[in-house]
Amino acid sequence: MAATPAVPALLAQNPVQAPAPGVGRAGGRGGAPTDPPKIPLADAGETSEGGRKFFTAGQFATLKKLGSILLPPLKGNIGAGDCDSAEFLDFLVGASPADRQLLYRNGLNGLEAQARKQFGKAFAELDAKQADAILKPLLTQVPWVYDLPKDPMKRFMYQVHADIRTATRNSPEAAAALANSGRRGAGGGGLYWNPIDPV
Amino acid sequence: MAKKEYDVLIVGSGHSGGMAANILTKQGLSCLMLNAGPEADYTRDRVNKAAHELPFRGFGKPGRLEHVYQANEYNANQWVDEKENPYTHDPAKPYNWVRVRLLGGRSLFWARQSFRLSDFEFKAAEIDGGGDSWPISLADLDPFYSRVEGIFRVSGRKEGWPQFPDGNFIESTYPPDSKTIQTVTDLCKQRKFGVSKMRSSAGQNGLASSINLLLPDAVATGRLDVVANAIVREITLDKDTGKASGAHFVDRHSKREMHVKAKVVVLAAGCLETTRLMLNSGIANSSGMLGHYLHDQIYGVSVVASVPEARDGKAPQGLMGGSAFLPRFRNLNKGEKRNFIKGYCAIIGSGGSAQPNHFAAYGEELQQKLDHYAGSCVSGSIYGERVPRFENHVRINRNVVDAWGIPALHIDVKDSDNELNMAKDSADTMEELFRTAGWEIISKTDKFYPPGYSIHEVGTARMGDNPKTSVLNKWCQSHDIKNLVVVDGASFVTCGWQNPTMTILALSMRASEHLVSEMKNGAV
Repeated sequence: MAATPAVPALLAQNPVQAPAPGVGRAGGRGGAPTDPPKIPLADAGETSEGGRKFFTAGQFATLKKLGSILLPPLKGNIGAGDCDSAEFLDFLVGASPADRQLLYRNGLNGLEAQARKQFGKAFAELDAKQADAILKPLLTQVPWVYDLPKDPMKRFMYQVHADIRTATRNSPEAAAALANSGRRGAGGGGLYWNPIDPV
Repeated sequence: MAKKEYDVLIVGSGHSGGMAANILTKQGLSCLMLNAGPEADYTRDRVNKAAHELPFRGFGKPGRLEHVYQANEYNANQWVDEKENPYTHDPAKPYNWVRVRLLGGRSLFWARQSFRLSDFEFKAAEIDGGGDSWPISLADLDPFYSRVEGIFRVSGRKEGWPQFPDGNFIESTYPPDSKTIQTVTDLCKQRKFGVSKMRSSAGQNGLASSINLLLPDAVATGRLDVVANAIVREITLDKDTGKASGAHFVDRHSKREMHVKAKVVVLAAGCLETTRLMLNSGIANSSGMLGHYLHDQIYGVSVVASVPEARDGKAPQGLMGGSAFLPRFRNLNKGEKRNFIKGYCAIIGSGGSAQPNHFAAYGEELQQKLDHYAGSCVSGSIYGERVPRFENHVRINRNVVDAWGIPALHIDVKDSDNELNMAKDSADTMEELFRTAGWEIISKTDKFYPPGYSIHEVGTARMGDNPKTSVLNKWCQSHDIKNLVVVDGASFVTCGWQNPTMTILALSMRASEHLVSEMKNGAV
């Protein structure tokens, strides 16, 4: 490890300079600069990968497959498989109350079990027709989103479908695709309230 | 150093507290307003962001605001934090208590729908034989409504219907109705349902709140001090007279306890916070009614239909768009036989689209359906009156305290067959209208949100002439403590189907002016 230079040596290399005339310093000598340069920041979601932390590898593979089936690229919009929607849901569900975690785990396990029973292979390996044979019976119309189906698998299918759509629509990739297309619409922004005088 | 004794302490800064401050200071009284939360800075505290820039990508922090269905990740910081300020309820009896503690309270965010109650509500016991009547009538409140409507610049179309009293409206013009709304209107007329337009407060610059319409005049008198972040814990009483003498409050940041003295205390913290404060103070409850009769309105029920000629983006000009507003049309006539009492209004909108949850489909099939029905939909929903019932109540839960050590509320409310039957009637009625129009029903439900969702909770310190069956008199004064006045929605006897804001404001104005006269003649 390189030795740390002594303080006097550092000071000698960086002598304190008097401010140039006309250059403002709030509060006079020793005050903070009034307008420090603004450093542009990148979005972590645009630069980095979240990875898988909550689901098992098998559950995660099922979730990825579900995304690609339920929301493929359509009408120039990105699909769930074109962004990190599965990785984001892994994070979101992992941070959620236990009932949501259980709904997802049981739902993904249920799809996997049904795929193996019906077709003798993992859900992630099903073709479109096989997946449809499993998924179609689990889809229901939900007239009131605060009154979800009592059947846990149907409830899961409603929730995961809605969540995949939101996670995809609100992804950085969707925003970038929208910006590149010049179209207006989903994935836009809004007025965000910062924490107000937090305790 | 001895601190100032104010003429009036006002707890809360929303519509009701703002109106009290406005009236009382203009009449020469010195007022101190304590508000539990901070003042928002609309420039500093708000910023435009894309959904993907939010920490939870628009979903919101899981579990943070489970009772606030109105919350999303954009507005989450405007609501009261449920961990910091909890309340309890039986899991089988959900209640959504939706709170704002910013200066101005919920007046910052209300939908601005502006209605008067009618004598169908004020004289409810005589009309529908259910519950009680108010000790006042529309005629008593009419002049106050008119002044409030002037301040808030209410727009509306005058109809002359007794269940939908007209008011002091600013001139409004309405574009011609679309053909679908004309169809709805014609069908409603055949069924003797009145169809009108929404009534709404224009306010100033898009805001109709306490902080821009009421408090600035009060501040300008030089007689109003406002303290933010002051959480009132207890109303104090004079040992000798038994009258209210001020309040203990806790500084939100430091948790330092303070006391303020006042000749009169006006409670305007919102129905349930006001009730919690009185219950925690152990005052004003010789009747045993404090905390009872909590009620609000049922919001929800949804019927969505599609107009065939408007599908696939082929709607001709003038077919879709606009809305129809149906004020209460049930139980207006004596002898009308229904399996519920009271009534509801219906809001019908034209030009919307079907949503993914309307279809048992996914992928390309779902997208085709969404495209097919886009812009072709007519939808209806309702605001309905819940029946005030003694057993629907709040009490203090001594086992749970907020972040400042103040005991929390336990809320015990359950809907009855009256609400369920009313909702079913409304869904069936809208379905029949839409089917008769020749439209395809896409979705129908008679479900509605849990109690509290409407953010119109009222009734827990009801007014009445009899001190044994009510908490307040008709001037919103405590029967037990004459210098304690409640000016928020706690005084309501019935809520009607109407947004209660105009009534809260009119009652606060009336109570405040009466208080001034009582103080001048020495009665308080």
